[in-house]
Amino acid sequence: MLIELENIVKIYNQGRVNEVTALDKVEMAVEAGAMVCLKGPSGSGKSTLLAIIGCIYPPTSGRAVIAGRQLARLPDRFLTMHRRRTIGFIFQRFNILPRISVFENVVLPLLPLGMSPKERRALAEPLLERYGIAHRRNFPAGEISGGELQRVAIARALINDPPIILADEPTAHLDSRLSRDFLADMLALKEEGRTIIMASHDPLVTEAAGVDRVYGVHDGRVTKDAC
Amino acid sequence: MKKYFEKQRNLLDYALASLWRRKGKNISVFLVFSLVIFLLASFLFLSRSLQVAAQTTLRQTPEITVQRMVAGRQESMPLTYAERIRGIFGVRRVSPRVWGYHYNEVTGANITVMALAGDPELGREPLAEGAFWQQGEQGRAVIGQGVVKDLDLGGRRTFSFFRDDLTLKSFAVAGIFAPETNILTYDLVLLDIADGRDLFGLADDLATDLLVEVVNPLEIATVARKISERLPDTRVVTRPQIQGTYQAVFSWRSGVAAICLLSALSAFIILAWDKASGMSPEERREISILKILGWQTPDVLQVRFWEGFALSLLAFAAGAILAYVHVGYFQAALFRPVMMGWSVLRPGFDLVPIVQGGDLLLIFCLSVLPYLAATVVPAWRCAAVATDAAMGG
Ligand SMILES: Nc1ncnc2c1ncn2[C@@H]1O[C@H](COP(=O)(O)OP(=O)(O)OP(=O)(O)O)[C@@H](O)[C@H]1O
Ligand SMILES: [Mg+2]
Repeated sequence: MLIELENIVKIYNQGRVNEVTALDKVEMAVEAGAMVCLKGPSGSGKSTLLAIIGCIYPPTSGRAVIAGRQLARLPDRFLTMHRRRTIGFIFQRFNILPRISVFENVVLPLLPLGMSPKERRALAEPLLERYGIAHRRNFPAGEISGGELQRVAIARALINDPPIILADEPTAHLDSRLSRDFLADMLALKEEGRTIIMASHDPLVTEAAGVDRVYGVHDGRVTKDAC
Repeated sequence: MKKYFEKQRNLLDYALASLWRRKGKNISVFLVFSLVIFLLASFLFLSRSLQVAAQTTLRQTPEITVQRMVAGRQESMPLTYAERIRGIFGVRRVSPRVWGYHYNEVTGANITVMALAGDPELGREPLAEGAFWQQGEQGRAVIGQGVVKDLDLGGRRTFSFFRDDLTLKSFAVAGIFAPETNILTYDLVLLDIADGRDLFGLADDLATDLLVEVVNPLEIATVARKISERLPDTRVVTRPQIQGTYQAVFSWRSGVAAICLLSALSAFIILAWDKASGMSPEERREISILKILGWQTPDVLQVRFWEGFALSLLAFAAGAILAYVHVGYFQAALFRPVMMGWSVLRPGFDLVPIVQGGDLLLIFCLSVLPYLAATVVPAWRCAAVATDAAMGG
């Protein structure tokens, strides 16, 4: 299994008045190359689950093994290193920095790696071409269309060539045509052998072609829905 | 190793680009910052300059000066007085001095004309050009920077003064004092004593006053007392007395207090500014995004460090250079009212700003370091915890 979660609990602000149990005894297993959906209402814990799978922070308790590493044991520094190698993130609002160029956004994950500008270009150009945004490479990211923005987000998620792609409500700000384009891109990535996990309550996503399994998320509990 | 430098370069590039992206905020920070540095540096340059000026003055102040008083005013002094002083135990040397003023009717300036015997102490002060006259040479003068201006010499190296009987006496300029001795020499014309007597119409056995050097500086007061006892019609002024006067004039304590005040003020302004501006939601979000994309906390901090460093270094340099111009070229015009007293010392003397490594370091520590702390620490607190500004709905 590429991703194994056992008895995962995540409590925010533990011990304080605003304590929230965002995940409650979650069990989940995803094999490499699968495409998985997390479906649930707002506030149910989808983003939190993605953050744990994505090695952004460790769970409060439980066992999480992502690509061969057990998270709970890793300090922040190694969590970040592991994330850099294994995870590509596509955020709900894409989280593209609007004031820097499309190209600079795409290569952002490479800057701390000590790559020369030439090496960065060699990695980024094929992605810009593939997602049809090469002609926008020097535009400030704040000045391009929503569909292009979404493809910049995909390109950035792929720049480190990660085996796992996580997408948090990827279609929330896209119309249905762009949503379908996005899902087609995800399917193509699945066919390359990458593992894809999307959180969404959009039926277009949960019922998309290529989705192997849909998990239901309710009040921090995860149930297996048949698809 | 190559990777390390490449990484530093990438982070520095990123930092400079983000400085530029937030031009609006950063320019105002830069202005406030430079202003604070400017005030602080002006103050330090000025007080250092005055301090050195005072030291130079005291170095050239004779240990004991003896003047003859008649009817409460100064009169010329017969050289026989010198003989009587030489007889006092502990006296090393007695030199006669002739001095007076030359009033320039065109510019309204008063030039001090001083004529010394033998090899004058002032002869050890550095010259900007030329050399001192040799013993016995006549009609040669060493003049201060202000005299060059006042007499409008330009490239000319001769000038003339009227004697009291309105005949002209002309001089060749043997040398010009260096600007760092301005406090002493700005409006000074230095002559050999024979030329001085000629100019002021003084007989060969007269002097304006006598300069006395003692064998042991600790005995200045004792020797001075003996001189007054032996020559009751004289006024005896000692170096320690003059020293006291300068101290009162400069009032160093208030100067030091003002420096402390300014330092506290600057630290306050910088910190307050940064607290007020703080980290905007946009900056927090950016840090979250970078973290999620695989930047380590130290990477984020390095970017903030470079931003703060570039900005504060630039402001530091701008402030320091402006302060130098302010003190050197505009004669510390802004601080004149505060530092009143030094102009009493020698009217119209040119301030030469004196920059010492230690002073610059002090300003640096009081400004750049707090600013760096103020930029890096909030980012550190944010980067260590926050990835959620980019997550969620
Ligand atoms: N950083 C945080 N600090 C405190 N509580 C949080 C934090 N992040 C999420 N929560 C809480 O945890 C619960 C789950 O939140 P989460 O964002 O995972 O839900 P979600 O399913 O992604 O919701 P949405 O569809 O609105 O994005 C919510 O009650 C939320 O308020
Ligand atoms: Mg969410």
